[in-house]
Formats: sequence, C-alpha cells, structure tokens
Amino acid sequence: MFKKLMMLSWRNVMRNKRRTIITGIAIGAGLASLMFSDALFVGMNAHMIESTTRTWMGDAQIHRAGFRETARISYTIEDPVRIQSMLAADTLVVASTGRLISPASLQSAMEMKPVTLMGVNHLTESQISMLEVAIDTGSYLSGDSMEIIIGHKLADDMDIALGDIAVITAAMADSGFASRMFMVSGICKFGSDQYDRYTAYVNIESAESLLGLKDEFHEIAIRFPDPMIAMNPDLAFYSTFSPDSNRAEGWPTLAPQIASLLRMVNVSLTIMALILFGLVLFGIINSLFMSVYERMYEFGVMKAVGTSKFNITAMVLLEAFWLGIVGSLIGVILGFGLIEYYATVGINFGDITFSGVMFDKPLYTIVDWSRIWIYPTATLLFTTLAGLYPGIHAGNLNPSEAMRKSL
Amino acid sequence: MNTSNTSNVIVTRGLKKTYHDNGVPVEAVRGIDFTLTEGEFTAIIGPSGSGKTTFLNLMAGLDTPTDGEVELSGRLISGMSGKELSNYRRDNIGFIFQAYNLFPVLTVEENIEYIMLLQGIHKKERHERVMEILQQVELEDYADRLPSKLSGGQQQRVAVARAMVSRPALIIADEPTANLDSKTSGDLLDMMKRLNQETGMTFLFSTHDEIVMKRARKVVTIRDGLLFKTAESAL
Repeated sequence: MFKKLMMLSWRNVMRNKRRTIITGIAIGAGLASLMFSDALFVGMNAHMIESTTRTWMGDAQIHRAGFRETARISYTIEDPVRIQSMLAADTLVVASTGRLISPASLQSAMEMKPVTLMGVNHLTESQISMLEVAIDTGSYLSGDSMEIIIGHKLADDMDIALGDIAVITAAMADSGFASRMFMVSGICKFGSDQYDRYTAYVNIESAESLLGLKDEFHEIAIRFPDPMIAMNPDLAFYSTFSPDSNRAEGWPTLAPQIASLLRMVNVSLTIMALILFGLVLFGIINSLFMSVYERMYEFGVMKAVGTSKFNITAMVLLEAFWLGIVGSLIGVILGFGLIEYYATVGINFGDITFSGVMFDKPLYTIVDWSRIWIYPTATLLFTTLAGLYPGIHAGNLNPSEAMRKSL
Repeated sequence: MNTSNTSNVIVTRGLKKTYHDNGVPVEAVRGIDFTLTEGEFTAIIGPSGSGKTTFLNLMAGLDTPTDGEVELSGRLISGMSGKELSNYRRDNIGFIFQAYNLFPVLTVEENIEYIMLLQGIHKKERHERVMEILQQVELEDYADRLPSKLSGGQQQRVAVARAMVSRPALIIADEPTANLDSKTSGDLLDMMKRLNQETGMTFLFSTHDEIVMKRARKVVTIRDGLLFKTAESAL
C-alpha cells in the first residue's frame, strides 16, 4: 500500500505542474540561499582565521606566564632551548619562530613615536607571519644588524623613507635604557594599523643587544598543519608546553574577539535558517491546503470507498515529501551553482577592516561537507512535516460533507 | 446486534436526520422504515431536496442518523466507530457517484483495483479480477488509460466496475446518469441491469432520470423526508 501511496502522491503533486514548480522554486530559493550563506560564512570564518593566524599571530604561541598581561621585558620563556627542541620533535608543529618584544620609541630627525619593537629571526619568521610578503618597498630582513622594517603608515607619520636613519630606544632587561641606530631597509603594508603604524621589526640579534638579552624569547609563534587544530581546548600541545612558568595558548585564546565573532556568525546562521524554514513551512501548508480544498470531492470519494484516515493523512504527507524533494533538488542545484561560482570568482568587499580583520582580498565560498547536507535534509524534513496539518485535516473530512461542499 | 433475516441486504427503522443550516434545524429524513432484499434493482426517486441523497448516505454509513437505525447484511451500522464504518463500507458497499467518480491520476485498472488494494488483495488476483470485470463492462482495451481519456459513459462504466469488483453486498448509485445523455444513460443502465441479473448483486439508485426509473424493478418515492410510495415493476 505504501508503494501505491507513494505513486499516487507523486502523481497528485504533478497534477498541477505549474504550482509544483513555483512551490519547488520557492523552497529551492530558500534552501539555496541558506546553503550559499553557510558557504559564505565558512569562507568568511576561514578568511578571518587565516588573516588572524597567518598575518602575525601563528596558530598558537608560547609565553612566560604573565608576559601577555604585563609585557615585562624580564618575563622571557623559561628553558627556551629545551622548548625549541621539543617543538622541533613535535609532529603537530609545522614551523615555529622565536621573538623578542618590547615597548620602544622610534625617533627620526624630526619625530618620535612609541612603537612595539619586534625582534624576529629572519629565517623562521617568514614560515609563520606575512612579514616578508608584506614588504611594500625595500627588502625583507637579511640578518644585517642595521636593518629595520617599519609600516607604511608609520613611515608617513614620521616622514621616513627607505634608507633613512631611525633610532630605537628601549628599556633594558636589567635596568636602564639603550638606544641603537638603524637604517630603514623595508617598508611593509599589512593592512592593519597594529602592524603598519605601531610596530617596528628588526633582526632578533639586534633586539637582543638592545634589550640586553641573549638566546631568550618573549614569544614563540607556532604553525600547525591547520589552524582549526588550535580550536580544540583539550589539545595535548597546550598542556605539554605549559609547565609551571610557561603558557601555550591557541589563537582562540589569543584572539578571543575572533572566536566570539565565529560563534556569533554561527548563531546568526541558525536564526536565519529557522526564519527561512518557518517561511517555507507556512508556504507549503498554504499550498497543500489549496490542493486539499481543490480535491475535496475526491477525498470524499476516497473516504466513502473505505480509505482510512491514516492512508489519507499519509498521502498528503507524501505529497509534501515530494514537494520537498522537488524543492530540495532545485535548491541543491541552485545552491551549489552559486557556491561554485563564488568559490571561483569570490566576493570583493573593497578593503574593509572588521574586528581587526582586514578583508582586502575577495571572500571565497567554501563548502563544509560536515554540515552542508543538514540544509537539504532539514528542508525535506520541514516540508514533510508541513504536510501533517493539511493531511490530518483531509483525513478527518466527513465523506458526505466533503462531497456535498464541493458540488 | 444481528438479525435473523439475512436475505435482507438493508433494513432501516425509524431513520431520521436533522441538519442545522445556519442554526436552523432542517429535517432531511423524518423517520423511514425501509427494507431492501438481496438481488434487488431499486430506484429511489423524488424531487430535489426530498432527502434522497441523505437517505442513501445514511444507508451507506457516510452520514450518522439523528435517530433510528440501519442494518446492513444483518449488522447494525448505526453504532460503529469511524474506522469500523470505513472498513465496513470498503468490504460491503460499492459506490457510484454522479460525477468526478474516478481518481484522475490513476489509470482505469488502478482505479478499479483501488478498493482491492485497500482490502489487501494480492496483486495477481487484483489484476485477474480487474480484467474480468473490464470484460463485463466491455472496456478491456482501456485498462491503461487515464479517466480524462474516456467519455462520460465510459467513465461511469469504470465506476460500475470499481463498485462491483470487490463483490460487495450492496451497490449504491447516487444519480449515476446525471451527467450522461439519454443514449449513454440507457446503455449504462442496461449494462448494470445485466450485471445485476448475472451476479445477483443488489443495486440501489437515487435518480430523477426516467430512464433509470423505467429499468428499475422497484421504485421507491421519497417526499419531504418520508417514504411516500413503493411501486413494483412488471419487468
């Protein structure tokens, strides 16, 4: 009987092809917009994570406990040699680089500005951050002790050009201040004020001599094969590299605003999905009720000849199911078409910065296969459930009244 | 609940039905005692609004009486639940309605086998019985056609076949010729009468149509919701 009901309901759905196609397109458009939004949000998330981790931060960092809160020069990583050898042996770690970080002032012939001094290893830094890629004019660090890279906004503010002399003054680790002269070897452009206006980059040996430190780091930045690995708060890496005085933390802890933003995006998508599913639900109920009222006499005859309430309800439910299949097919084709198109072409937001993340490149849609299937499945489920109310209504019709009303 | 006289296909006692039309009570059937015996070919006639269709609906269990009782093949149907009534109609009554009788999305064969499908009859037997009845109604070449591809007369013949194929105790036809021309009506009635004679199945019609009245063996007249006259034909 079920097979026959399937066949009967399919033929009923195809009786009014125009209505079925219009309803299918309405369902499909809703589904496609959800799938597209999901892929866009996944692409946006990936971009934000990529931008956050690849620009400077890395996927995780190790610091001496308290350094991030106080930025005290004396708070260097404990036992850095052993930490570095452990990192080299860790299969999860693709690359790592040590940094010295200190508040400093940068002085030109005319101006003086506060900056964050970054002492970096020019060989390993390029495996973690975008510093080498971000060089706009001049060249990347080569290991020369005179080299300094500054951001283009800082260069503009201080009227400094490539080849100009600049002096960095910083507090030393033990006591007192030290100054050192540098020659601007490169001007970088990250697209973020933090790196373009308030940071100066020198070779780590130069920073060591300025700060009075030797073979020590304030920060070790780490890259995993995939930044998403860092999202696991129970990752063994964090406990392994967080003995008593050191702290290993992933980007969700280091950049909590990005993690919150991702959660907000997911909540927004869920709300949007619920609203769209609600609209689809009422659309289907309306369409099915129209169909039930048009066939009132037929339902009367069906009941008269002995069709059970259950079978009539099941038939209308199956009609809703078929509408869901048609709508889901249209939606999947349309949705994947849009996703595929924007995965190739991208959407350009025109160099905006949102929550510290630069959207200077086009956003590409990305399919998250672990969840994209939820949308057509939920559409089919919601559409079928939408058949329940008109189905029960049709099943409860009194045969003589149904035939009398429709004549 | 059972009665002794099983040759009576249908018996009604004091059957009444009152409708409420915008709060105003309308007595459509006002206490009808009626008996239909096995093999009869009976027409119920009466002017519009006389209560024919209501009376048929009450006998068929499509409607519940306000008072009185209906007994079909020895079983009281008045107190049955909706599900019991539904099953009882499926197994004991064949219906022919005046229009839109057939399910438009089903072929002739599928329409005829529909009730047997509800009864859970096996596919092979369903097919054999459909082919047999299609021969009897002279539509054996139309099994795969949709109702929309048939004339009005052919559609009603399919409806007759569907009503008869499950071999019910009673076939109720509510104005079966209402939408047919007189030639087609005559042919349909002749066929039904032949089938009545060949199978011994009981037929009960409501009609305005003289063609039906002329062919009926018994004509029962209803007026103002009451049984007015019963006339036996010499045919």
